[in-house]
Amino acid sequence: MAATEGGEKEAQSDKNGATLATLMRAALALPVLALPVRAQAAEVGEIGFALLGYKERGLMKISEPLMWGKAQIGDNWTVSASALVDIVTGASPELVSNLSGSPMRTVTGASISDRRTAGDLKVTRRFGPLTLGASRAVSNEEDYRSRAFGLDATYELEGKLTTFAAGYGKSNDRVGSADNPDLDERRDTKEYLLGITQVLSPTALVQSSLQWSRGKGYYNDPYKRTLTFYPDAELPILYDDTRPSGRDTLAWLTRFRHHDPGRGTLQADYRYYHDDWGISAHTLEVAYQWDFAEAWSVRPALRYYTQSAADFYGQVVPRPPPETLSSDQRLAAFGGVSPSVRLTWRLDTITVEGTAGYYYNAANLRPGGGTEGFVPLRAYYGLVTIVKSF
Amino acid sequence: MTLYPFTFQAMAATNEVQVHAATPEAARFAAALAIEEVRRIEAKYSRYRPESVVSRINAAAGFDPVAIDAETAQLLAYANSCYEMSGGLFDATSGVLRRAWDFKKPRVPTERELGPLRARIGWARVERAENTLRLPEAGMEIDFGGFGKEYAVDRAVAVLLEHGIEAAMVNLAGDLAITGPQPGGAPWRVGVQHPRRAGTVVATVDVSSGALATSGDYERYVEVEGVRHCHVLDPRTGHSVRGFQSVTAIGPTCLVAGTATTIAMLKGAGGGQEWLAGLGLPHLCVLEDGAVVDRTGGRPGGAC
Repeated sequence: MAATEGGEKEAQSDKNGATLATLMRAALALPVLALPVRAQAAEVGEIGFALLGYKERGLMKISEPLMWGKAQIGDNWTVSASALVDIVTGASPELVSNLSGSPMRTVTGASISDRRTAGDLKVTRRFGPLTLGASRAVSNEEDYRSRAFGLDATYELEGKLTTFAAGYGKSNDRVGSADNPDLDERRDTKEYLLGITQVLSPTALVQSSLQWSRGKGYYNDPYKRTLTFYPDAELPILYDDTRPSGRDTLAWLTRFRHHDPGRGTLQADYRYYHDDWGISAHTLEVAYQWDFAEAWSVRPALRYYTQSAADFYGQVVPRPPPETLSSDQRLAAFGGVSPSVRLTWRLDTITVEGTAGYYYNAANLRPGGGTEGFVPLRAYYGLVTIVKSF
Repeated sequence: MTLYPFTFQAMAATNEVQVHAATPEAARFAAALAIEEVRRIEAKYSRYRPESVVSRINAAAGFDPVAIDAETAQLLAYANSCYEMSGGLFDATSGVLRRAWDFKKPRVPTERELGPLRARIGWARVERAENTLRLPEAGMEIDFGGFGKEYAVDRAVAVLLEHGIEAAMVNLAGDLAITGPQPGGAPWRVGVQHPRRAGTVVATVDVSSGALATSGDYERYVEVEGVRHCHVLDPRTGHSVRGFQSVTAIGPTCLVAGTATTIAMLKGAGGGQEWLAGLGLPHLCVLEDGAVVDRTGGRPGGAC
């Protein structure tokens, strides 16, 4: 029975293959050209190189040469890989003390220089509307090592107007310390993602995703300490950075894109974040990419960020000392603005981009005020990217 | 190499040519020639222009043969192939039904009106010689509406590529041809017009290369007692076809893609989908109930 059906199908296909050939013969008798029919993405590949410079006033400088490559193999396979080297110089260990009467940060003289090397590999395979991907990432530095593995899937509904995404990731990290050769602790994280992308009109789309993670292990910063003097005690209390041994996070990201053909693209993103350390954060970013000439575009962007403090954040060691305490400013309540501008130049298959940005974080940028004594952070960064596609 | 876009009016619509050229002068020169070619074809085959070949042939129906040039003869030979391959559904003489169908008034023609018009349809009776054509009966008409615009797309692409343009996109009111991927290798993402909601897309199709054409029931139609009667008319009954809201196909030429979708519409939902699958061309259908059938993925189809 099945064989009969197959036979019939074959006969029908033969007959219609002849139909197309007949139509094409008649069409090509006219002075027109036949174009190869490719309804899928072309076989594309690209290689890219990026260099990042970051300067946090008096604190840290990172330059990050990054290389990546991507190749499509046949109609359905894509392989991509990247490698990077981070060079971190400058002082990082810090101490928060109330020596001068009020809490302040002291950057200790011991300067560190560290080098991080990382790489990842991702393979995706397309099965019609379903695309499956698997990735592996490794990252090594003197005091931190990470091994991550990820699986993801996207599924396009008929007509490609709606795309669903799901992902799972697992990361196994090891925390060490340049100061303490005995420190060797684990941190394991599992991450999940669910997302949807919807085409709203010929020029607009919206994307929303929910991401959550569960982490267990060592979260302390071995380079941070809190030092508190009490008038009635002769010796100050010195307290190592001590954080909970787990962290569960939840993030919801929504992005909107509106393209104005021949003019540019409006981008608006909102992200809500919450974790069980007590931090809730909101990020709002608006950008407009203006295509001001055939080969040129410029993209000014403004990001606003605000977060509440972690439950165990404190600049003073209370008596008796609590179970968990950190004076890491990144766990304080603050707000930040970050303007940036990106210039893009395209020449045939080469795209060159330059981005310059600025961060300013301060307590008074949080509605209702942030943590008192928060030391404003000012940082600059620059990023240059060159991509060649083939 | 930079991409230069141009828009222009022709065939009662806004159209677009995008060319990939080294200099703006080269782009403008080639685009001007392509636009001129589209306007030449419009003037030559429009049934609204009394001096057109089509008007001359129709005016001589029942009388002497009319001399035709090689291009017209080849286009009519193409129409003949479509007639044969579609089992007589694609008939370049069926335009005569428009005398009964006025899509500006919500009314369905009666059998008394359609009967005499159906009798004037019949491609098989058209007397085609090497360089003449004769419609045997007064009142018969031929019409290039089913393939003239698609041919203009193919010709515009040919003109651009003949004049030093490396890659181009020509879009005549939704029937288009793409000669290669966008700079950087990404495919063009083509939005397919939603057949029921103007200004929105029902689907997107990625095209790196090929010609894409759409036939639909939404361009000209009347609704009578809740039933939609569209401008795609079955030459056997004189009535509108049913089964699809729209059909989009991608082919090696716009002529082939366009006639493939028209014939699919004429064959109806079941036969039409079989026809498209058999041709082996990537296609996307919106069925009568609004369901989308996307067969643009997978292997690049086509025997060519």
